[in-house]
Amino acid sequence: MKIAEVIGKVTLSRKHPSLDSARWLVAIPLKSNELNTNKKKTTEPFVIYDELGASSGCQIAVSEGAEASAPFHPDAKPIDAYVSAILDQVEVY
Amino acid sequence: MLTGRVIGRATATAKHPSLDGWRLLLVQTLDIKGNAEGFPELVIDQLGCGKGDTVLLTSDGAAVREMVGVNNTPVRWATLGVIDR
Amino acid sequence: MFIGRITGSIVSSQKVEAMVGQTLFIVEPLRVNEKDQSDLTPTGRSFVVVDTVGAGQGEVVLCVQGSSARFTKETKTLPIDAAIVGIIDQVHIGTNEIFNSTEK
Repeated sequence: MKIAEVIGKVTLSRKHPSLDSARWLVAIPLKSNELNTNKKKTTEPFVIYDELGASSGCQIAVSEGAEASAPFHPDAKPIDAYVSAILDQVEVY
Repeated sequence: MLTGRVIGRATATAKHPSLDGWRLLLVQTLDIKGNAEGFPELVIDQLGCGKGDTVLLTSDGAAVREMVGVNNTPVRWATLGVIDR
Repeated sequence: MFIGRITGSIVSSQKVEAMVGQTLFIVEPLRVNEKDQSDLTPTGRSFVVVDTVGAGQGEVVLCVQGSSARFTKETKTLPIDAAIVGIIDQVHIGTNEIFNSTEK
């Protein structure tokens, strides 16, 4: 899972039926020198399926690839990024 | 499998139930020379790996599902060992 | 998942059996404007994707990549690695609306 910072959200007008109740976030994955800083993040944002209720400014754990749809097993959903946790604290040694 | 250096840890209250009880370490993955490569990964750890340890990581989703004991976990990365040298 | 704009379509008569009847679009990924996060800007890259929702030329869509593109009942037998799974209505960054499908 990567750490990402939530910066926004997306709404859909039409969607695949398996994604009917989804919430979608826009977030930027964080590099090690971007953790716990206010400096501008440089990576391209991506869109993530959320069922935990994260909002702008949250740091989240993001599962990518096939594992992103594992929580819905045995149902299949076409998801490649999923919010696995909303992080309370990230301690960098 | 990859090697990585433990650079931090994270805690979460709101999370997928399969993460309950697992330590979440922040690990910077390394290239063959031991330099940082790519984004740091949050991994689950049952070995008690700590600050500064160099660790062996697996991204085998099936192995991790077995480790966690459920087949619906979104986790893919876990520590497999601490590297002595 | 990424956001992209449909910039074209692909027609192919000679193709593997599994792909018969599938709509193929060319999608250009968009990114949140790096400077001030005020709009979506083109990236200059392109993907070929299969449509699962009935999208059309020019629309801004949500795409899935990798093996997850096969995780629908329509696509599970297809040899594909990218699909359109939604049509974008709005994008907000913080409280700012930076994209609305009704304003073009």
